[in-house]
Amino acid sequence: MARSLRLYFRLLSIQLRSQMTFRISFWIDMLTTGLLNVSYFASTYLVLERFGNIAGWTIAELAFIYGMAEISFGLMDMIFSGFDPDWFSNFVRQGALDQLLLRPVNLFAQLFGSRFLLRRLGRILQGALVLAYAFANLPVAWTAPKLAYLPLVIISQIVAMGALFMMGSTLIIWTIQPIEAVNIITYGGVEMMSYPASIYSTWLRGLFTYLVPLVFLNYYPALFFLDRPDPLGFPVFAPFLAPAAAGVMLWLALRFWHFGLTHYQSTGT
Amino acid sequence: MAEIVRVRDLRKTFRVLDRRPGLSGSLLNLVAPRHHEIRAVEGVSFDLQPGDLVGYLGPNGAGKSTTIKVLTGLLVPSGGEVRARGMTPWAERERYVRGIGAVFGNRTTLWWDLPVIDSLELLEPMYEIPRERFTRNLKEFSELLDLGPFLDTPVRSLSLGQRMRADLCAALLHEPELVFLDEPTIGLDVVAKEAIRQFIRHVNRERGVTMLLTTHDLSDVERLCERVMILDHGRLLYDGTLLELNARFESNWTLKVDFDEEYRDASLPGLQPPLREGRQAIYSFDHRALPSAEVIQALLARFKIADLEVRRPPLEETIRRIYAQKLLLP
Repeated sequence: MARSLRLYFRLLSIQLRSQMTFRISFWIDMLTTGLLNVSYFASTYLVLERFGNIAGWTIAELAFIYGMAEISFGLMDMIFSGFDPDWFSNFVRQGALDQLLLRPVNLFAQLFGSRFLLRRLGRILQGALVLAYAFANLPVAWTAPKLAYLPLVIISQIVAMGALFMMGSTLIIWTIQPIEAVNIITYGGVEMMSYPASIYSTWLRGLFTYLVPLVFLNYYPALFFLDRPDPLGFPVFAPFLAPAAAGVMLWLALRFWHFGLTHYQSTGT
Repeated sequence: MAEIVRVRDLRKTFRVLDRRPGLSGSLLNLVAPRHHEIRAVEGVSFDLQPGDLVGYLGPNGAGKSTTIKVLTGLLVPSGGEVRARGMTPWAERERYVRGIGAVFGNRTTLWWDLPVIDSLELLEPMYEIPRERFTRNLKEFSELLDLGPFLDTPVRSLSLGQRMRADLCAALLHEPELVFLDEPTIGLDVVAKEAIRQFIRHVNRERGVTMLLTTHDLSDVERLCERVMILDHGRLLYDGTLLELNARFESNWTLKVDFDEEYRDASLPGLQPPLREGRQAIYSFDHRALPSAEVIQALLARFKIADLEVRRPPLEETIRRIYAQKLLLP
């Protein structure tokens, strides 16, 4: 384990060094992704300004839930870059997975170390700005339990989204080709997390409650942080299920990954 | 001595999606995927002894790469038994690959964006090679392979020959006891090929490393291997020495003769009439039934001869005959 971590950080430092050598393209990338995402929120903001709220959620409350999802997704996208299904399918097709399998090193350490997109900082920063706006405008008392739970929720979100990336990549071990349906779950799931779950139709909410339990990762914790009642009638501990839901998702993703690898067919002759 | 690799009845079947063309086709693929099976390896058995350098031959799609991918722990076979270095490769991957090396001619195992030396240095912690052994090996191999001039060049900027040499060095730094070479001379010029062959022979002889070599260039095999295995359609057709292969399957030798005078009839008793062109004649004979010395004696007894040359068919032709005529099939 310690050896895997050491190697991961060594591979990481190589990644960062090579990304920093192309400094100009790095800053442009970071700025454009940041600006793009700011414009998403800005357009929502303009709409909200006219209506005042969505389903009883104020702009600050919406900013809170959106900012959390953005920060987590940005961090996940940076840390789990090597498991991004779109990138991973190219990686497998070029036979690069073979190269990793030939090394006497934990495969995860190598895959995590194969890609680390620093330019995702743009999206993270943008999420942080939106979250800062929420903090400044929310009439909420930030008690000690809330402050302690907040980082735990963010970590759970990163783990849960990362697990989705991993599952998507496992499918690619079979198909080699990228599968659009996977993106519906990953990117669609994140999009869903950016808004209160109560605005969605029952079947969609059901999908993200029972099949991919993302509502427990952002919506329910948000109810707790914002002192809002639960309109859906789940047990009172529902807001605190985030770490458990993330843990289960990660466990399933790991099992699926190991199973998938025994069916790996490699490429070429 | 106990074998280092033991393969029994190895089988690997791939399931391949039949892709239907067009938009409606890709929708159909999604809803009702159709598969067909490719039996890449169908019951292959062999042993490798420590220190062996064995040529693994076969036409494209014969199942060579699949065998190597199973033996390197990349693929899980569909059936059969594989023990190598006392382990089951795919089941104990991390421990197993520590003692093997692999070189693939068509792709590098190095880090594309890193200078060669950084790539090689990265292998030291990965394989936990003791520092002084690492330095000693790096020095020896980079001298033998003449890596000096391009140690600081990123791998992506290397020529094919340079890349192959760097890859060979990388595959051996951790002193593996078992090395797989998949087309190590593919696309190289004569000089580069020779350098690689010499290096392979050196490592096999001096360090006793067991090697399995697949190649399409049969002169690699003639130069390096005493033993060859021939694979076709997923089955092993031949496993034995190169000498025996030639003795059994070589086609006729030829004898080219330049006469000193014009002869109208140059035929010899017991031989097909030769091909003629001016003062030249080319005889074809089965050297197993009639040694070349006897043919030459018979010629000298009858004709005045300026020059003669005995030619054996190239190994390539022998192997081609084996595939084409299925000589080895029961």
